[in-house]
Order: sequence, then structure tokens, then C-alpha cells
Amino acid sequence: MKTSLRRELLDHGATVVGIAGLHGYLSGEIAHLDRAVTIGVDRRLNEDTLSLLVKLEKLAVRFLKARGHRTLAIPPDSDRKKGTCISKLYSLFNHKMAATSAGLGWIGKNGLLISTDYGPRISLATVLTDARLRPDAPMEHSLCGSCTLCVEHCPSKAITGAQWSRSTPFVELVRLGECRSHKTSKRLTAGKPNCGLCINICPYGRKEQAQSTNI
Amino acid sequence: MVTEEKKKELLAKLRNAVIQYDEDTSKEASQEALDVGMDANDAIFNGLVSGMVEVGKMFEAQEYFVPELLMCADALYAGLDILKPHVTQLDLGVKGSVVIGTVEGDVHDIGKNIVKMMFDVAGFTVYDLGRDVPLDKFVAEQLRTDSDLVCLSAMMTTTMTGMKKVIDDLRAKNPHVKIMIGGAPVSQDVADKYGADGYAKDATNALKDAINMIESLKKMKDEVEAKKAK
Repeated sequence: MKTSLRRELLDHGATVVGIAGLHGYLSGEIAHLDRAVTIGVDRRLNEDTLSLLVKLEKLAVRFLKARGHRTLAIPPDSDRKKGTCISKLYSLFNHKMAATSAGLGWIGKNGLLISTDYGPRISLATVLTDARLRPDAPMEHSLCGSCTLCVEHCPSKAITGAQWSRSTPFVELVRLGECRSHKTSKRLTAGKPNCGLCINICPYGRKEQAQSTNI
Repeated sequence: MVTEEKKKELLAKLRNAVIQYDEDTSKEASQEALDVGMDANDAIFNGLVSGMVEVGKMFEAQEYFVPELLMCADALYAGLDILKPHVTQLDLGVKGSVVIGTVEGDVHDIGKNIVKMMFDVAGFTVYDLGRDVPLDKFVAEQLRTDSDLVCLSAMMTTTMTGMKKVIDDLRAKNPHVKIMIGGAPVSQDVADKYGADGYAKDATNALKDAINMIESLKKMKDEVEAKKAK
């Protein structure tokens, strides 16, 4: 079942698919849905990424439901409709936690999910389920090494340079207040809150992106 | 006119869409019901709500948990949004407007939202004050809207005490208003002590109470229609 679900999602445009075993990681309301299907799409910063993720998420839900399993789709962070009943539960869950548990990557110094092949350029959606899918091997340590490009280039000096590992998930990687205040002042001056230097500068997966934008 | 067979098929589809927490199908079936000229009331009560009644039972039997319950509620709302503008309001002899909210200091509103949904479905005008509502606001809103029912929710013992103040103030300003309270720390004793008219034990029971209310409303509706037929 796991292989055919993965193939189905990849065939429909997913860049990476991972299965995370989250037993013991989830809060009470959703603890019974302890497998996560993590769907990643290579982000080229356009609207298609979002609609593709939503489409893939629905596909995974239909696939699992048709086989009699419970599901809970957690939409991408940028597509969280407020005002629905289920949206109350979304804050209980973290896409990046599931993605590292599924071995798709680690949390970089810039606080983002980094995959070896695509760098920090993956957008995530997750479908939680109680189907007994065999989990992939989780990522335990950061592979950032001694690279400090994002630390140096951060305009608000928000990146602390600390290393993530599974055993120390609460180490402060990014001073969020400073990152946010930079984005706020950007919005006032440039009209857009975009910064994203820590994404652009990351050497992981850059070649991949250069190729795809050249086409 | 829509055939009995088609009607049955659509009601089953609406019902299953809610049980299966399938928003897309709920929307689709609701639109289809309108397109074939089905009565919106029929589609809501015998389709969507009948599904939610089943969901309530499954929740009680622990077949469904909180996430499923919430997703089912969303599926019901998705269909309701389409059907509601076409509902012909029935004169039930009750005015049916209600002020609802979670009291000051408390941000837990899942139970409140489920109860609210049931009032929505039943065709009440709902004035939802949301969560963490300043105590005076309940009284002010009741007076402003002249609602006959005020529902208070609290999830914590520390915020529960605020309900007593609201009830006292409401009684002082308007002795005729009905007050229903609910939430985890609330009990029948508390309801009696605070002077509330009604009490919903927890989310499950609030849901059940709301469903009972709708079922009695349905009965009243049937009676009204039976009288008309005579």
C-alpha cells in the first residue's frame, strides 16, 4: 500500500513523499493518527505550488479513505483557512517535524526544512492517518556542517548559527522576533514582506533550481 | 417535480457526505438538491442533519474522535452554506434568536462552535460573540438583539465563575431570558447554583442536547405542516 500511494503521489507531481511514524509525538486529540504522509513539492514561488499541494493532499486522503483508514489532512501553512471547525487543530501539528521524521531532510540553521536534493525549497503538506504504513527512517542530525552562509547573509542577524538535531528540538535557531520585524519593515518600504535570503543562499539543491529556471 | 427515488438518493448522498466528512461531496449534493428542485429544509434536516445525528452517535461510541467530529461539522457547514439561502422559514411560534460565546479568560471554543452550528441548522438567528468575551458584552448583546436565549461556555474552573456574574446581570436586566451553560467544569449543581435554565454536560452532551432540540423542532415543524394540510 505504501509503495502504491507513494507512486501515485509522485506520478501526480509530488517532488518527494515520505512516511513518518509519529507515535508519542502528537497531542491527545490527534494521537490516534500516528502515521504522517508528508508530501513535498519543489517550490518555484508561484501559485501553482499551492494548488498542486492541495490536489495531492486530496489524492492521498481519497486513497487512504477508500481503503477504510481515518485521515486528517493538514493543509500547507500558507493555505490555512480560518473559521472552519477543523482549523483549531492545525496548530497542534508541525509539518517540518513530520518531514524530518520521514527522513526528507533536516532543520537547517535558517530554521527551514533542508533536503539534500532540493535544499530549503520544498513546500509541505501532510496527511495524518491511522493506516499502518511502514515509517521511513527519520533524519537525526543536521547536515549543515560548518556552512554559515545564511547566518552571514541574514539582514536582521536573526540566525543564531546553532545546529539542529532530533534530540535537541528546542534549541533556538532563528530569533523569530527579529526575522519578523525585518519582514514588517520590508512590507512598509517595499510593499512586500518577502525576504527569503536564507533560502536563496543555501547551497543545498541550488544547482537543481538553476536548471529548472533555465528551462 | 423531483421523483421519490432521486430524492432518496440525494438525501443519502448528503447524509453520507457528512458522515464521511467529505466537503466536496456535501457541496455537490447540496447544489444538486437545489437544481432538481428539492425542498431545502428537507435536504438540511433529512440529509445533512441526519448525518450529523449519526456522527454524534459514532462519537459517543468512540468510533469517531475530535478531528473527525470537526471535519464532519465542516462538511455540514459546506452544504448548509449552499442550502440555507433557500430555506423557507417556518413560523414555529418561537422567535429563535440566541446569543452565544465563551466567557472572558477562556479561549476554548470547540464545544461552543458545535452547539452554535446546531442552532444555525435549526434556523435560529445566532449572535456569536466568539471566545474570551468580556462579561458585560453578553448582557449588552442580549439587550441589543432582544434574544430569548443566552448560551455561555467555559472550559476552566477559573473562568467558570464569570458565568455567575453574567447570569445575575442578565436576570437583573431581563428576568425572562433563558440561559444555558456548558463546558467541562460545569455540572447540574453549578447550573442550579448559578441560576441557569439549562445545562449541557460536555461537548458530546451539548451536541446531543442540540440534536434533541432540533429533533423536537422537526416534530413541531411536522405538526405545523400537518395542521396546514388539514
